[in-house]
Amino acid sequence: MNKSKAKVLWELFLTFFKIGAFTIGGGLAMIPIIEKEIVDKKGYIGKEEIVDAFAVAQSLPGVVAINSSIYVGYRVAGMIGALVTVFGVVLPSFIIILLIAVLFKAVSGNLIIDKALTGAKAGIAGVIATVVVRLGKQIIKDVFAAVLAVIAFILAFVFDVNIAVIIILGALTGLVFYRLRRLKDNGSV
Amino acid sequence: MVLFKLFLLFIKIGFVGFGGGYSIITMIQKELIALGWITAEEFANIAAISQMTPGPIAVNAATYVGYRVGGFWGSLLATVGVSIPSFILVILAAHFIMKVKESKALEACMKGIRPVTVALIASAFIFFSYESFVDLTMPLYINPGAFAIFVLAILASVLLKMDTILIIILSTVLGLVIL
Repeated sequence: MNKSKAKVLWELFLTFFKIGAFTIGGGLAMIPIIEKEIVDKKGYIGKEEIVDAFAVAQSLPGVVAINSSIYVGYRVAGMIGALVTVFGVVLPSFIIILLIAVLFKAVSGNLIIDKALTGAKAGIAGVIATVVVRLGKQIIKDVFAAVLAVIAFILAFVFDVNIAVIIILGALTGLVFYRLRRLKDNGSV
Repeated sequence: MVLFKLFLLFIKIGFVGFGGGYSIITMIQKELIALGWITAEEFANIAAISQMTPGPIAVNAATYVGYRVGGFWGSLLATVGVSIPSFILVILAAHFIMKVKESKALEACMKGIRPVTVALIASAFIFFSYESFVDLTMPLYINPGAFAIFVLAILASVLLKMDTILIIILSTVLGLVIL
């Protein structure tokens, strides 16, 4: 490996380590930071392509931050670039969470920590409730989507069906429904 | 054997983990509680901590759960496992970006998957309600303090457009003070 490539890899690592260490809340919170570091500061990727990268990262399965880092790393320096960026973005989580896991064992069952965590969980329930309403407005725009969401909820919550199965059923239902509708539209012309 | 099972489980979650952090958290929760590897209360605590610490929520939760199930190697395998499908799918997508963008079949699949992810996030909401202000053993009882924090969090988000992380930090402080 020549010197300049090693330097690019090191920069990629540092950039994504920083992104992993300083964004709280995950994927969507990271997007503006990735854009600033990768597009504006380093110019690794053009403005239009980063839009594609985020679109791909959000529509594919998997963690949005991992998906985006793989896309950018791969585009800039191939397979090894992708490995370096993922390692960078995950490493801060890894270090911090391992420390907390070890510490938490010592303090779990503590009444004060319990109160604090109950407060946090109630707050998170509130945040998620607003996310459900916002996403619901965005995604559930027709009867098809509404029926699908209700059925998925019942399958997951009442019948405890495996989530992977529900996701695959959702994909197949979408495929069949829109294929049939297209055939029908074509047929009526 | 447990480590291998954990690894496979997170690969699976990586492949079907549509819809971002909260949706993935529901998947991890359902799989691990069903296996008896973790209790609902412990998982809720992990998920709460995952949102207050830097890094993606799903990676934090995977690392923590992995650690609880199989120590250091467990956390490593969970994180690597959840990333492997991303490697395959993102690199494929990077090569076929134009085809991916224009594929009608893919768009149809996504139209089926997106409503499902809304349902999954709704399940995450119910899970956190049960772990904070609703008590499963007393069906009609609602913890008034925790419920007040829940309502305040919604108001802070909707009316004040407050940042999520700030809402969670304030909720934690309120929990310490009033619960």
